[in-house]
Amino acid sequence: MQSSAARKMTPEGWLEPPPLPHHYETEENHKAALRFGMWLFLGTEVLLFAGIFVGYFVFRTYFPEAFEQAGRHLSLFWGTANTLVLLTSSFTVATAHYFAEHGKNRNAFWLLMASVVMGAMFLCIKGIEYHDKFEEFALPGKFFHFEEITAPGGPIFYVVYFFATGLHALHVIVGMSLLTWVAVRCWRKEFSPQYYAPVENAGLYWHLVDLVWIFLYPLLYLV
Amino acid sequence: MASTSSAGTPAQSHGFGPVKLFLNWFVLVCLTFSTFGVSKIEMPVNYHLAAAICIAIVKLSLVVLFFMHLWWGEGINRIVFLTSFLFLAVLMFFVMADVGTRFTLSNSRIPPLPKIDQTLMPSGMPPGMGQVPQGHSDAPGRTAGKAGEQ
Repeated sequence: MQSSAARKMTPEGWLEPPPLPHHYETEENHKAALRFGMWLFLGTEVLLFAGIFVGYFVFRTYFPEAFEQAGRHLSLFWGTANTLVLLTSSFTVATAHYFAEHGKNRNAFWLLMASVVMGAMFLCIKGIEYHDKFEEFALPGKFFHFEEITAPGGPIFYVVYFFATGLHALHVIVGMSLLTWVAVRCWRKEFSPQYYAPVENAGLYWHLVDLVWIFLYPLLYLV
Repeated sequence: MASTSSAGTPAQSHGFGPVKLFLNWFVLVCLTFSTFGVSKIEMPVNYHLAAAICIAIVKLSLVVLFFMHLWWGEGINRIVFLTSFLFLAVLMFFVMADVGTRFTLSNSRIPPLPKIDQTLMPSGMPPGMGQVPQGHSDAPGRTAGKAGEQ
């Protein structure tokens, strides 16, 4: 990728797009290829989380009472708050994509920064929840010493809970990094109707993080 | 599909504008509260599970189609995404079919051991087995004594 310093500002107020790589015939070709690559990657992400969801249903079949008891011990308030935070951040990212595509880099910048802040809020709330779990020893495996869950399988629920939410939190951190990187490039006015693929692809990643939570929230907290 | 001119005019956008994106967000928030509300209704847990998954699928569709632009984008991306979910369904189906048809936490067809009938217990067993404490002379196993040994 060509550095932005070598590119000139166009009269519309954004940097010239980087030159089209020679193996693409048209800009549309290039955009479609970048998008397709991202969707392929998202497909592998779905399969990564598939293992965790299948594990959830297997253990739920074996230990239905423990899963119900433990689910009731999760904080419904924080879980719902986190769902709303992530949905809202998805909305700001989608809107940032729209503005980047229309060359309004500053609008996109602020929306992306808002999304990063919401990602941080999500992690803080997750941290509060983890802290509570550690306090009451509602932990995986041999670290489990939580008397309020009497049915067998309590330690297994917390294995699923910490792995699922932990892997998801890792994705939130990666997503926040990507959004920050893209926001910085928005600040430098790099995006235009001809070139906005980084905003689009970082946004797609963030939406996937949101999608995973859309399923984790009811399965862990509500059912 | 948007055709971009190199003249720098904004591309003919193939997505929602901010207002429609906001509406999409609003519907998603409503669905979040509805999944929360449904979880409070008294019904069997499997119905809860089914309802939660159905609402989650609707939310997924809204995010994927409108936030992620799958409604407008190239068809190949739809195939990629749907295929990943198809593979998830295959994995889920066969694993759950296996788990659902097993004996509980066992893979043995051997039936459980029958309960030991204390009255039939011969004497002369290893210490502690089949013994009745002293003073319970009415216990049938005890009256047989050593004579019962064969």
